[in-house]
Parts: sequence; C-alpha cells; structure tokens
Amino acid sequence: MERVIIIRYSEIHLKGKNRGFFERIFMVNLERAMRGIRHELHRTSGRYLLAGYPEELEEEIMSRLKRVFGIHSYSRGLVVGNSLDEIYAAAKLFAPQDGTFKVDTHRADKKYPMTSMELSAAIGGRLLHDFPSLKVDVHTPEHTVYLDIRENGTALVFGSYEKGAGGMPVGTSGKGLLLISGGIDSPVAGYMMAKRGMGVKLLHFHSYPYTNDGAKEKVKTLSKILSGYSLSESLITVNVAHIQEEIHKTCAKELNVTLLRRFMFRIAEIVAKETCANCLITGESLGQVASQTIEGITSSNAVVTLPVLRPLIGFDKDEIIELSKKIGSYETSIQPFEDCCTVFLPDFPAIKPNLRFVEEEENKLPVKELIEEALKSKEEFKL
Amino acid sequence: MIYLDNAATTAPVKEALERAEKFYAENYFNPSAQYAEAVNVRREIERAREFFTELFPEFSLLFTSGGTEADNQAIFSFARRGNAVTTMGEHPAVENCFKKCKDFGVEPRFARVEKDGSVTEEELLSLVDEKTSLVSVVHVNSETGAVNDINALAKAVKRKNPRCKFHSDGVQAFGKIPVRLGKEIDLYSVSAHKIGGIKGTGALLFRKGTLPQSYLFGGGQEGNLRSGTENVLGILCFFYAAQELKDLKVRAEKFLKLRELLFSSLDPEIFTRISTEAGSPYILTVSARGMRGEVLQRMLDLNGVIVGTGSACSSKHPHSRILKACGYPEDVLDGVLRMSFFPEITEKEILTAADALNACAREWKEKL
Repeated sequence: MERVIIIRYSEIHLKGKNRGFFERIFMVNLERAMRGIRHELHRTSGRYLLAGYPEELEEEIMSRLKRVFGIHSYSRGLVVGNSLDEIYAAAKLFAPQDGTFKVDTHRADKKYPMTSMELSAAIGGRLLHDFPSLKVDVHTPEHTVYLDIRENGTALVFGSYEKGAGGMPVGTSGKGLLLISGGIDSPVAGYMMAKRGMGVKLLHFHSYPYTNDGAKEKVKTLSKILSGYSLSESLITVNVAHIQEEIHKTCAKELNVTLLRRFMFRIAEIVAKETCANCLITGESLGQVASQTIEGITSSNAVVTLPVLRPLIGFDKDEIIELSKKIGSYETSIQPFEDCCTVFLPDFPAIKPNLRFVEEEENKLPVKELIEEALKSKEEFKL
Repeated sequence: MIYLDNAATTAPVKEALERAEKFYAENYFNPSAQYAEAVNVRREIERAREFFTELFPEFSLLFTSGGTEADNQAIFSFARRGNAVTTMGEHPAVENCFKKCKDFGVEPRFARVEKDGSVTEEELLSLVDEKTSLVSVVHVNSETGAVNDINALAKAVKRKNPRCKFHSDGVQAFGKIPVRLGKEIDLYSVSAHKIGGIKGTGALLFRKGTLPQSYLFGGGQEGNLRSGTENVLGILCFFYAAQELKDLKVRAEKFLKLRELLFSSLDPEIFTRISTEAGSPYILTVSARGMRGEVLQRMLDLNGVIVGTGSACSSKHPHSRILKACGYPEDVLDGVLRMSFFPEITEKEILTAADALNACAREWKEKL
C-alpha cells in the first residue's frame, strides 16, 4: 500500500495531435512545482501519479498543486494490489463512519474477473458489514469511495476530488510581458494569462527617488506570489523618473499620465522583444481610472505594434479584488507603498486625451533619447 | 556618508561594543546561575544598574527590551483607573498605550501641543482632575526636538492631583541633554540605541517605592519585575556607551552651535524652520515647502547624506501625526526633513550636508 497523489489534466485531451507537446510541458511544470521535494512522477493514460514523496510534505504538495495550471483535479489516494482483500483494506481507510455513500469503480483492466458493478457491490457490501451505521445511496451519496483498476495489476483507491487550477499548462501558449505595478490589478492580469497557458515575463516601472524601495520590494513580493502560478523566473525593473520629470516640466499637466504610459509601452515593447515575449499584458480595466478609458487606451496602444492583452478589461474592481484574494496577492497589493509619487499626479488628468494633442505634446520631448536613457537603468532580479 | 538621522538610531560606540562583546564572549554564563562564573556576570549587570541609578539616586532601574517596552510597562502599571493624560506630541509607544487604555476602562486624554510640539502647563492641567491616575509627557519631542520642562509640569500636576503618577519618555533626552529628575517625577523611560548602545535594550527608571507591575512572568529576573534571561550584551553595551558620555553640557553647547550653523547654511528661500532654537541641540527639523520630504531624503541618500523625514509617501498616513498636531499646513508637512546629530560631527560635515540639502532642493525646483 503506497500513498500517491493522482493528478488529472484538464483541456489537454482536446488538443488532438499536439497532445504530446502539451503533455510534455505539463510534466515539466509539475516537476518544477515539486522542486525541492523528493518524488516520482509517473504518466499513465490520462493522468499522472505522484509517488515516493515524504508523507509529512503531503499538505505542502497539495497546496503547490493547487497553483499548477492545466490540472483539472487531483486526489490523495493509495496504490494497492488488485486482489479484493487489498482493495478493501484501502477502501476502508477512505470510507466514512456513518452517513450515505457509494462505491464508484472504474475498470481500465477489462480482463479483471469482476465487472465494475460487481466490484462496487462487493466492496460496498463489506463496508456496510463493518460500519453498520452506513447507508448506500447511489444517486446523491454524502461520500464516495473511488476504485480504479489499472492494467498493471494494481488498483487506485481514493476518497475525493480536489478541484485543480484548471486552464492550460504554462508555456503552451507563448510568452507575454506583464507590466506589473504594485497594485491589485496587474498580478491578477498575469494570473489570467498564465491560466491560459502563457509564460509570463515581468516588467516593473519605478521612479526612484520619487518612489521608495518599499514599493520595489512590494512588487518583488507580488512577483513571487504570481510566479507560483506563472512560473516567472525574474522581474525586470526600469526607472522612469527622468521621463516623468521631463514630461512634468515640458508638457501639458493633464497629459502627465497619458504620456508616461506611452513611454512605458514603448519601453515594454523593447523589453518584450529582448525577452522573446510575443505580446504585452496589462491590468487595464475599462474606465477604472482616467488613463484606462478607451481614448487613454487608444493613445498608449498607438505606440506599439505587439498585441496588448488586457484580460481584465471587462472586470469590475470587486471581481478583480475577489480574484486577487484567491491568488493570495491582495494583502501585499494593499500595502501603502505608492508606485507613483503624488508630485507627478495632475489635479485633473485628461479623461479623453485627443491623440493629435498627445502627439503634439510628446513631440516637445526627445523621446528616443529618453527611452534609451531609461533602458540603461534596467535591472533584473531573480525570483 | 554623512549620517544625520541619529534620533532614529545611532552607530554603536565602537569601544563600548568591543568591551561588551569581549566580556560577553568570555562570560556567556546565565546570570541567574549559582557558580562563580555566573555570579561574575550578574555582578557586571549590577554594576551597570548602579551606574545609571547613581545618576538618579532616588530611582531604581529595570532593564527592558527598549524604550517602547519601558513606556508600556510604565503606562499599563499606573494608568489603571479614572483617566490618564498625555500630549499629542508623544512617540507612538506612548500614544498607542494610551489608546489601548480605553480597553481597560481608563479614559485617555490628549493635550494639545504648541507649534513647536511642546505642551503648556495650562493645557495639561486643564485635563488633569482628581480621577487622573497617570500623566505622561515626553521629555524631548522626537520630531521637533521641543523640550518640555517636565519637572515644572510634574510639579504643577502633583499640586492639582498629588495621587497621580508622572511618567516621561526620555528616549531623546537621556545621554544628550543634562537630565535632572525632580521629586515629582515617578517614571522615566530611556533607550540604549539612541546614545551609542545597541538595539534591543532600554530601561525604566522608577522612583523608589513606586513599583511597576510585571508583565513578563517567569524566572523572576529584574527583581521579579521583568522575567527573562537578561540581555547581557545589550545591557553592558548600554552601560559602557553611557560611560563614554561625559560633559553633556559642553557637548550640548557644541551641538547647539553646529545645529545653528547647519540651519544658517540652508537656503532661506527654500527651507522653513520647524524646530525652535530652544529645542534639543541634537535635532533640527525644517520643511522644504511644497516639496516632498521623502523624495528629498532619497535624493540626499544618493548624494551620501542620510536624513530623517516626518512622513512617508503613503496615501494612508500622508503626514506626521505630531507635526499635524502642531498645526502646520499641508504644504509644510509635505516637505519635512529632520536632521539629528550624535555623538560626533565636524563643522565640515555639517557644511557638506547643508550644501547637499541646498543642491537637492534646487535640483528639485529645476526639475519640477
């Protein structure tokens, strides 16, 4: 009798001839999630078996698996020989003491001497005998004991399904560069894209000395939380303080944020190309702040050619907060370190910036030089 | 690097730390044990205690983990009924204890402070009545350097209510300005790392006969007032560092001159003075009106000068609570910088720092 965790994947079976590609990446991601824990990972048809791990780390493993995209569900179970006695010994461990239950058998080994129904009935009968206060209910049982008869002479016995993170294995849908601030939205945006299988690279803009190192540390912490899902390996930071100063000094006040975002997008596109990312990802949500109106989005979008993915565009703040709590980034996001100093915030930012006016104002600045200078401040932190 | 944030913490006095480390390395025994080696450690701690109590012969002393713990123990020991009075110019260690008192049915009362952060006798007395159990007034305000005449205040308070106890947080005063504790003062908190000791050590001085309560129970150390094996290294470093502090009066006068030199070297077009001339010689607080102190602080840091600020660039606590209570407008509060000195600084360093302050502020003006 050996303890195992049974992992089932979600959408990979839809992928036809590409399935091998998806499965390989999924396997690599599972291995990465298990980094630092002794284990064996076996692939069987339609599922993975995790075995040989230290029992005391089972909780930790379960919580790590919760963050791996591509997992449909996973269960703690036992591997036993396929004799009736051995199966029953394991089933007893997963059986409830009272209430209603059923035994659900799946038989991959079609040569097994009993049919699924017969096996369910046999095990169920023994359980009823040993636990007299149990009752069978095959339609809406409170508990289910699952039996899975494998072809190699073993059987898997488990008691419940834990819901996995769903989605697709990270790395199966290309790479994107996430513009991560210290706020609530951007980590959620990264999470959403990772969930669809995208590898997420991270870029943060700061403006030291106008913002402090606390803000940077906060972003590092957020990046670490996000990388639990997105498997991001590093965080790139670029200082845009000088750009902000120049905009503040030279251009119309109400365009401060609009213009800064255009600079950020341009820099992000350069960094994306350097890091082989196929798109930019932002946490923009339509109309949430002045720069996230459709006019604001148009103005920043106009300076890049890479697609910009905005997975939160149709989300309400409440919905985003709920997700960020689920991801575990909320508590960090609301720490009071600002990623933009209030000195640069105009009293009345332009809500509907006119693109021609924006371009006119921007033309007063040496755009190329400023970008080159900012890129010199690029730093990379391993997560 | 020129370090001007000594009101936050000071560099340890090298000789003191070395002496304490040497003693600690050789005498690592538990001071509560009975063998001769341990007794030796105990004796050294008692020597430290005697050193401090000789400065204040009417007081006993218990070592704590720092000023905050000393404040907590003093306040929770004596703010036990009726109401307790303090000022709006207190360190959070005092302020938050008073707020907490509410949970025990004691009404906290906060006296308004003057523009410099000090409290007047009149204002303080207006809150004291026959039900007051404790009055606590900071000796030197940590943000403005304002010095409260605690002896006079204590005298006045006791005249109105002889039964209440008087505590003062002396963290920014002890070891810096000459301290005399008059007979109306009952409790006084001090800290080691503000005068060249190491972090994690402080003490509560309490008048003989005014016994504080214990909040840490265990082996009965510190006369059963604070259990827990003594922080031998910290206590000894505190002791040795304090031994190095001689001629406080001369030193204070010297710093007074340096403080004025620093202020007079600052561009008057940019910097407004907040701390007064009568305040602690060790603290100069100014405001670069309309700028952000926190940003200037980082610009200065890049230029090798470390100063303190009165606030953090945060939406939740945008301004210093104390300076707000002093009644400064928002644009002044935005630009607060605090320069604090200890134990040595040269005229040349003061001038270099002043140049950096002027240069950074001008750079700001140019850029923005």
